[in-house]
Amino acid sequence: MIAVELRKLFRRPRTWVTIGLLNALPVLVAVLLAVTDLAPRPGEGPVFLSAVLTNGTLYPLAALAIVLPLFLPIAVALIAGDSVAGEAQSGTLRYLLARPAGRTRLLVAKLLSVFAFVLVTVVVVAAVGYLVGQLLFDVQPIGATIGGAGGTTGLSGTTLTPADIVGRTLLAIGYVTVSMLGVAAFALFFSTLTDSPLVAMLGALGILVASSLLFTLDAASSIAPYLPTRYWLAFVDFFRVPILWRDVVRGLALQGVYVAVLLGAAWANFTTKDVTS
Amino acid sequence: MRAGDVYGFLGANGSGKTTTVRMLLGLVLPTKGEVQLLGEPMPKAARRVLPRVGALVEGPAHYGHLSGRANLALMDAAGPGGSRRTRKARIDTVLEQVGLSGVGRKPVKAYSLGMRQRLGLAAALLRRPELLVLDEPTNGLDPQGIHEVRDLLLDLHRSGTTVFLSSHLLAEVEQLCSRVGVLDRGRLVLQDQLATLTAPTGATVVETPDPQRVRAALDGRVLELGAGRAVVRGEDPAEVNAALVAAGVPVTGLRLQRPTLEEVVLAAASTSADRVDAPGERSRR
Amino acid sequence: MAGRRSGAAARWAAVLGVVAVLVALPSLVAALPASEAGTSAPDLRRAAVASADVAFTGYAQSAGGLSLPVGDQLTAVANLLSDRTTMRAWYRGPADWRVDVVSPTGETGVHADAGGTWTWNYETATATRTAPSPLALPTASDLLPSALGRRLLSEAADDELSRLGAERVAGRDALGLRLVPADQASSVARVDVWVDADSGVPLRVQVFGKDAAGAGAEAALDTAFLDLELTTPSAEVTAFDVPPGAHVRKGEDAGLVQAASRAGRDGDRIVLPAGLTGLARRTIDGAPRGVGVYGRGITLLAVSAVPRRVASGLHDALVTAPGAVVDDLGVRISAGPLGLMLVDGPEGRMLLAGTVSLDALAAAATELTGGQS
Repeated sequence: MIAVELRKLFRRPRTWVTIGLLNALPVLVAVLLAVTDLAPRPGEGPVFLSAVLTNGTLYPLAALAIVLPLFLPIAVALIAGDSVAGEAQSGTLRYLLARPAGRTRLLVAKLLSVFAFVLVTVVVVAAVGYLVGQLLFDVQPIGATIGGAGGTTGLSGTTLTPADIVGRTLLAIGYVTVSMLGVAAFALFFSTLTDSPLVAMLGALGILVASSLLFTLDAASSIAPYLPTRYWLAFVDFFRVPILWRDVVRGLALQGVYVAVLLGAAWANFTTKDVTS
Repeated sequence: MRAGDVYGFLGANGSGKTTTVRMLLGLVLPTKGEVQLLGEPMPKAARRVLPRVGALVEGPAHYGHLSGRANLALMDAAGPGGSRRTRKARIDTVLEQVGLSGVGRKPVKAYSLGMRQRLGLAAALLRRPELLVLDEPTNGLDPQGIHEVRDLLLDLHRSGTTVFLSSHLLAEVEQLCSRVGVLDRGRLVLQDQLATLTAPTGATVVETPDPQRVRAALDGRVLELGAGRAVVRGEDPAEVNAALVAAGVPVTGLRLQRPTLEEVVLAAASTSADRVDAPGERSRR
Repeated sequence: MAGRRSGAAARWAAVLGVVAVLVALPSLVAALPASEAGTSAPDLRRAAVASADVAFTGYAQSAGGLSLPVGDQLTAVANLLSDRTTMRAWYRGPADWRVDVVSPTGETGVHADAGGTWTWNYETATATRTAPSPLALPTASDLLPSALGRRLLSEAADDELSRLGAERVAGRDALGLRLVPADQASSVARVDVWVDADSGVPLRVQVFGKDAAGAGAEAALDTAFLDLELTTPSAEVTAFDVPPGAHVRKGEDAGLVQAASRAGRDGDRIVLPAGLTGLARRTIDGAPRGVGVYGRGITLLAVSAVPRRVASGLHDALVTAPGAVVDDLGVRISAGPLGLMLVDGPEGRMLLAGTVSLDALAAAATELTGGQS
């Protein structure tokens, strides 16, 4: 069942178009930076972007930081919102269920395929970011040791070895992936409520916009820790020495709770729903 | 319905045919009562029963970006049963059955309506089902296509498949089905063998240029007079003919009276359900 | 089959039940009772002041509601007192610690060792070495609850102290200690310090100004640990090696303090009195002559001569600020418990700043100018 969903997802041209478009922005930013040599002033613009001119090794992270606030959630909401509602709209849902693909099984398979999409997308963005960083920017020589020439300076002023950077980048990729699961769960839940993929996607994006807005509002500070977007930027904390786990752990737990609750709601709704499309 | 039937499920638009089919397949949950399919309760036993059922509900639906073959493979893999090893062979067989074996790798979105209908039928046949549930299977097909589908269904029926055919096309049902049910506003108002429903009524229809003279010749036996025809009691057309000829009445045609399926259905069902009359108007009818 | 219909209700009930439990969880954890030890207020103060040797690793947040209209001269300090500052702290001892101010896209770390501090700024890739100085403007590390609590309690008299109940701070039992300053001139209504029952480390400090001293009033400054572990961090963490490619700078005192000491050197005529508005002058070794600090405990008043160039900028900023009082003496303003005054003295302008009321500032200004002319 999961294999079927993955095949459906990744044999669909739209999936790859989405991933491709997602990569266009970081590549464009990299090209512009390399051509003009005008990095944003430190502390402004997406995190790590100010550092990439001197060290391209950080570009995968800068690329993630560029797509994280808007483009990545849109892509995830698009795919996840389409998962059930899209099948309902095209009419294939009734054939799947009459096959019979059990409703719970179908839902779990959909969720897992969306997770796979998120992971592939984030990895592709990071990989493209790596290539672009290597091609367009100065790269510190690999194999440098702490204190020697090269290496990358982390946020805390500690020199990170290339192995460190690779490890921490992988952690950050994993964390960003998990951060997107909450969006995916929202879109999947809405996707079981409606037969229109567009409505499901917009619903999930509405939640995100509301969450981002509330996060900036002092009056909403009491609910800020529970907003789905609250800990998104915590992947930066992997580059502090020692790693600041507090927000990362909270972010993981929060996403876990959102996924569990929304998947539960999606299950309660979908398994008892009349399929009339 | 019974195993081995070709069951025609008739009803006006909106009378509940599609909903009934959806209930059978466990897509819609009944508000009251129970649904049994192949002797098992639905949707509880869906995992056991549905693999033995092939369905085509309200038109076919496919993944437009994939080829017909890939669509069938996905559908086959989506449910339980259906061995992976025999998949390719089964797909080849059903594509041949529905006449699509030559389409190759073209994506489904390039298919014509008729081809999609055939592909939908192929998907329903993929598991060699004991029961075929078909909702308007000939929608979008040209006359040749309708003929082919009819032959295919009769073939399947001969090889032991039970067919449940939901349709509002009386002619289709009349030509295919051995047993008929009529649904009116969600209620089954009639269910019988087609042969019984359209059995002779015990009257003979006489076609004559001069119906008034029939009355004179067979006084007391005439049930109905119309322009150019008369309906006469009597189960033996030869006997009626002899009596008329003896009386010198010109007869141009003579046959046993059988109700058409249309008449049966119209008699059983009331007005079309998608007609919405004002309450007062309806009571006057 | 009606079973699945009623199943729908059951399923939704299960989901809602899980949601309810999850929503209630944080408040349940917060409602965990803190155990009260019967420590007396003076004992608690002693424990807190003596906790300077307790090593810890912590995560703290301070929120200030003090907006100081001071222009460009003191931006860093003004931000510190008006913003939310998130800090990570590693403390091995009074001369071996590190405090990182964490921002979403970077951080500023202060590493202290026996010879001074290294300040690392990620955004500008700058490492600054600063020698210890008797007079320095406050930095984020001074807002750490442990440091601030010890400083505020260090000179408190026993009769200024009272006990509050117990609370849970950073998941630990904390005993409340309230300090109400005895000095009339003070603009601080009270300071509440929550002290760790086990170690004596202050876990939370709240400063309330007299302008907002009601029961539900917002603290003018509220700093608290959110996480605290009483384990000794490794020396590697607090040590600092200048990373390759970083700019290295020699730390200098803030422009204002420099200017004050220059003004003090040049203006030998300025003689600061031994007492001002009832507050005694403190002796601070190595402080420039032009700078005087008066008061005791949490009621402090700093007086400093300011060169004309610095003074006029500050004057412009203060005069236009809302709530500023401008009269013959000069211009004065308060932000919460902080008072700031620029006095037009006969020998040039002088800056008065401290935790004293506006009236006390005016009285001090009168004494300063009156004594001179």
